[in-house]
Amino acid sequence: MTTRRELLAALRRAVGEDAVIWRPEDLAAYEYDGTVERSVPHAVVLPSTAGEVQAAVRACLDLGVPITPRGAGTGLSGGAVPLRRGVVISTARMRRVLEVDPLDRVAVVEPGVANLELSRQAARYGLYYPPDPSSQAVCTVGGNVAENAGGPHCLALGVTQNFVLGVEVVTAAGELRQLGGRAPDAFGFDLRGAFIGSEGTLGIATKVVVRLLPVPPAVQTMLAAFPTVGQACEAVSSIIARGVIPSAMEMMDRLCIQAVEARFRVGYPEGAGAVLLVELDGLAEEVQADAARVRAECLERGATAVRVAASDEERALLWLGRKGAIPALGRLAPNYYIVDGVVPRSRLAAVMERVAAVSERSGLRIANVFHAGDGNLHPLILFDEREPGAGERVLATAAEILRVCVDEGGTLSGEHGIGAEKREFMPWLFSEEDLATMERLRDVFGADGGLFNPCKVFPGGTGCGEMGSHAAAVRAAGPDAYV
Amino acid sequence: MASERERGGRWPEPAAAPAAADLARCVHCGLCLTACPTYLVTGLETESPRGRIQMARLIEEGRSQLTPAIQEHWSRCLQCRACEAVCPSGVPYGRIQERARAQVQAQPASGRAALRLRRLVLRQVVARPRVLGAVLAPVGRFGGWRLRGLAERLLPGRLRTMSRQLPSNQGRPFRLEEAAAGNPDGEPVQLFGGCVMRELFGETHRATVRVLARAGARVGAPAGQRCCGALHAHEGDLAFARQLAKANIAAFEGSAGAIVVNSAGCGAAMKEYPELLAGEPGWEERAAAFAARVRDLAEWLAARPRLPRGALGVRTVYQDACHLAHVQGIRREPRALLAAAGCELVETEGADVCCGAAGLYGLVQPGMSAELRRRKAGSFAAARPEVIVTGNPGCHLQYLAAVQEAGVGAEVLHLAEVLDRAWRADGGASG
Ligand SMILES: Cc1cc2nc3c(=O)[nH]c(=O)nc-3n(C[C@H](O)[C@H](O)[C@H](O)COP(=O)(O)OP(=O)(O)OC[C@H]3O[C@@H](n4cnc5c(N)ncnc54)[C@H](O)[C@@H]3O)c2cc1C
Ligand code: SF4
Ligand code: SF4
Repeated sequence: MTTRRELLAALRRAVGEDAVIWRPEDLAAYEYDGTVERSVPHAVVLPSTAGEVQAAVRACLDLGVPITPRGAGTGLSGGAVPLRRGVVISTARMRRVLEVDPLDRVAVVEPGVANLELSRQAARYGLYYPPDPSSQAVCTVGGNVAENAGGPHCLALGVTQNFVLGVEVVTAAGELRQLGGRAPDAFGFDLRGAFIGSEGTLGIATKVVVRLLPVPPAVQTMLAAFPTVGQACEAVSSIIARGVIPSAMEMMDRLCIQAVEARFRVGYPEGAGAVLLVELDGLAEEVQADAARVRAECLERGATAVRVAASDEERALLWLGRKGAIPALGRLAPNYYIVDGVVPRSRLAAVMERVAAVSERSGLRIANVFHAGDGNLHPLILFDEREPGAGERVLATAAEILRVCVDEGGTLSGEHGIGAEKREFMPWLFSEEDLATMERLRDVFGADGGLFNPCKVFPGGTGCGEMGSHAAAVRAAGPDAYV
Repeated sequence: MASERERGGRWPEPAAAPAAADLARCVHCGLCLTACPTYLVTGLETESPRGRIQMARLIEEGRSQLTPAIQEHWSRCLQCRACEAVCPSGVPYGRIQERARAQVQAQPASGRAALRLRRLVLRQVVARPRVLGAVLAPVGRFGGWRLRGLAERLLPGRLRTMSRQLPSNQGRPFRLEEAAAGNPDGEPVQLFGGCVMRELFGETHRATVRVLARAGARVGAPAGQRCCGALHAHEGDLAFARQLAKANIAAFEGSAGAIVVNSAGCGAAMKEYPELLAGEPGWEERAAAFAARVRDLAEWLAARPRLPRGALGVRTVYQDACHLAHVQGIRREPRALLAAAGCELVETEGADVCCGAAGLYGLVQPGMSAELRRRKAGSFAAARPEVIVTGNPGCHLQYLAAVQEAGVGAEVLHLAEVLDRAWRADGGASG
């Protein structure tokens, strides 16, 4: 058993006095991410270099203390919540863009750099980093790597996996390793690929090499309003069937439109059952031609209005509504639980109907905002955690929705990861043997001690606390003389 | 920390505590983190909007007392409200923070004497232009740069920074009677004088009056108006802020037209009088009517159809005052006015990130304030402007110091001063 005093002393030796957080009230600012999960760590460290990350990891391993990596804490699967307490290692002080190489179109960044900051730095050379989670102003490149994050513009270009060339990591065993490199075509085993999407269970990324693309010369953003979600879904399928691949295709339903309008007044048509935001980019003539086809297709499928953003400002406003849509629902209810599932695009309309039925049965309001082009759904269950039994009802409803996704040939996560929230559902998709293979990969990175981001991704495990239960979080925050 | 929730929380003054419903609005999504200057500097959740709200929740839920650490996190907040502007969930951060500060007033952990003194100075000096003038007069007399240089060398660090921050081109203080100007048939407009503005920025006020008159207004300034009370509210002295608000509402009630303000902080506070006076019988409607008349100078001008133009041709950077950009949502108007005046606008990195002046912040948190000023100095050094334009007295002072730090020879001017120059040079052609 390690005392708190020993732990803090070891951490201070590893990263210095200034980079260790230990007061109970301060630690409470690290008990959450963007989800309803909560658990207060015993300490937080903020290393500034890979060397300090390594020293902190080794100090924890020596003392047998659990480790949870943390970027900006915008995660939507509880990944950065230290469910077995222990030490949170935050990358918030590793925020330098080390290099932007306009010739090779490559950038090298520290893991704590915000996604949008990377694109801003690249913009000086007419380049950008395409994967754009809606949280991009804040979420970190390290967190993106860990979650294999996607975003509205990943429809045509692909997700994080497609843009990361190499990662320097401190493994779960405390070793510094290079995975992948700088060259576009790697050879040998793709360990880089194995690390991306590992949700902080294999190690901590300390440097990331990414591929950049030139900013497209022309962009057009349009908004189509439909009477029903079903019609909007059909429009999505038929646009793609026509051979047009927009750079983004995003949908919001009636409840979501209400919340966004209440907060941002972006001018989404009132009374619409669904809006579809479509963006096209490329050469000016191509974009023009595709825009005409998209418009025709939307009208054909019953759109009541199609509006094209006339200026950059209008375009930014349309996107503001979409990017802030999820938290804007905080206006309609004190809490929301966000479900992240994927279904084949052709099944979208059917799945949305089934989700609506689930909502009716459960008596819980469900709003929908999603990356329609990818078939990546985000039903948001609205609730008030102060109502007795609300947490359990919400989790049961979320499980039902995910079951629908899997039944329709889909998966458990499009981009937010499995984290703490969905690990019990993994057996729906993977056999015991499949899961065991993944666990063996974990061992290769030295995570066999079970100390590295425990209680995530894999089902089972002891001492992980009750999911989403506020009472448990408050209990866990009790006297903590021993780790 | 307690292991059980306690009803009513552990606020020193529960009646004036941040509302539980306001706190519950925060869904801890984190989308405000990179808007927050203190998070950008420290990388700490505890110095972020989400963290500061969490601190209030800990107290609300009975999980923590109002500890010295929590007080420190709150007092490091600049109240720039950049977080509020980006928060998709519409968390009323400014309201939460003012109420949180009021709790600190009720139970200051460290420096009870310092807090009392600050409050006393705010009530007895700052809120009274004449007293403020008397206090500042000796400093003002070091008008010439050489004398000032001498005085500087004799002063200890923090005071030296302050002396460096005094504007040198502002002439004598402004008297409200000087506001009477413009075409007798013009649109009536009432100028708000303020406290610091009147004493330290006399020339800015005179330029404002000329600019308003050129734009076709008949300008006046009702007697009986007082300090806006923003500094008091930010320090958590809500009672005195309410007193000042009522005095101002009464002072302007007999006059007609827009109430034009050339200080972002005052304008923001005055537009929020209805919130400050919410629940005060008889005042809610009067406050609403008052707030509906308040316009920032840039906002009022930009809404006029035929303004003079200009051909200044100077390399200009505009810096957003927090309470103009984040609270009043005014970003485009000043830039458009400058462009029409013929300024060659250059955008700098972090133009809308707080400069660290933030009312009395520089005195209370000199370290963080200086770091933010250094960042501005860095951006000026990179942009090499001839003129730096702002719309708030606190920022103005901070930029004077930043310019010296950056070693650039730029002039710091209020928007009104720039327009005054441009429109005079222009000789009268309207466009
Ligand atoms: C409003 C909102 C909208 C969102 N929209 C999208 C979206 O469109 N697409 C999308 O994909 N996601 C989205 N997200 C989810 C979230 O922003 C992403 O998962 C993001 O990648 C998380 O980054 P972060 O820095 O906040 O990581 P955190 O939340 O801090 O951590 C996430 C996981 O990454 C691990 N981790 C963090 N840093 C490292 C590192 N350096 N090395 C190893 N592991 C690490 C953590 O242990 C944790 O498991 C959204 C979130 C919000 C709140
Ligand atoms: S204040 Fe707003 S943006 Fe910040 S965490 Fe809370 S809800 Fe999100
Ligand atoms: S008001 Fe400014 S300093 Fe305070 S929390 Fe918000 S962004 Fe940060």
